[in-house]
Amino acid sequence: MGWKSILLEALTLAAAGLALSLTANFLSPRGLVLARDYFPGSTGRSAAMAISAAGSNSNQAVSSAGTNSPARLGQDALAARLAAQGLQLIDGEEVKRLFGDPQYAQELFVFVDARDDRHYQQGHVPGAYQFDRYYPEKHLPAILPACLTASKVVVYCTGGNCEDSEFAALALKEASVPQERLFVYAGGMTEWAAKGWPVEAGERKSGVIQNGKP
Amino acid sequence: MNDPVSPTPRRSGRELAAAIARWVLGGVMIYMGVSKALHPVDFLKIVRQYEMVENHVALNLIAAALPWFEIFCGLLLVCGIAVRGSALLCLAMLIPFTWIVLQRALAIREAKAIPFCAIQFDCGCGGGEVIICHKLLENGLLILMSALLVIGANRRWCLRHDLRKAG
Repeated sequence: MGWKSILLEALTLAAAGLALSLTANFLSPRGLVLARDYFPGSTGRSAAMAISAAGSNSNQAVSSAGTNSPARLGQDALAARLAAQGLQLIDGEEVKRLFGDPQYAQELFVFVDARDDRHYQQGHVPGAYQFDRYYPEKHLPAILPACLTASKVVVYCTGGNCEDSEFAALALKEASVPQERLFVYAGGMTEWAAKGWPVEAGERKSGVIQNGKP
Repeated sequence: MNDPVSPTPRRSGRELAAAIARWVLGGVMIYMGVSKALHPVDFLKIVRQYEMVENHVALNLIAAALPWFEIFCGLLLVCGIAVRGSALLCLAMLIPFTWIVLQRALAIREAKAIPFCAIQFDCGCGGGEVIICHKLLENGLLILMSALLVIGANRRWCLRHDLRKAG
């Protein structure tokens, strides 16, 4: 078998493999939609990198205010980026205050967890709706009515470099939720759990509360 | 003179080595493919971090098709079907992938000023966060095995070694 035959065999397999792979992706319940832009407004450069770059660029301006820690720079850059998209940043203490407000129980304040099933089931802010933005057809019909009637919608993901809360908020904005009601909690679940605030495991309103008291 | 019916121990050893290389390479490809196919969104995010493509359809195509393609090649190798073509496709995936992992590791070393073998990140290989030194060594071995299977012609325990000719 010569090199030409090996190459021909590989090309035949590549064509067959590509067709089978696309079919498998199409049939898989977790398959990706090829035409969908999962990172709208992004140029392929992750926000984590963008934050880092923006942080170093704005170093001089921020240091004059005496708040030039990398975390602070990252927060400022994130807040600026969110503002450019019509969204607002919200900090952990304010999120906790909204959580403790009676309006949260009345669903006038709604929390949206933008992580996948596995992470949501492991633990989420009690009462938070799940919105895995990569599968909007699965989650959006359930959460949209609540988001449309709420006066504040707080969207979070893992925290740190996680960008899913930002993209989920944009998806909600796209779905007609007024942008002035949308808030991104950048600290996310990592900060929430680290502070020892209540965490609900399993389904929404499962009553299985960890860390804090129900 | 070698008897074609009863192979010499040396030839048997080569055939056994080729079969083991095929099973190991095929098994690793299946494992890596399955772990990505189960979590395609995680893989999509990692592919995006490499900044290889800017077009979202191309990005989705890589993240959607590559895991299943790895499984496809892995199954062919394990079963011994079109072995040289499959091994060549594995080479075509492993060499560029190893190169971009190396480039990213070098960029991290430069940015963080840490020893090369202390660098670890989720390279999208299917096993979560890994020490990059180990990953590059592992990929080097897989590339070697793929190359040996492309140039070798051992047909033992193969269902159909060549597509065009019954093995």
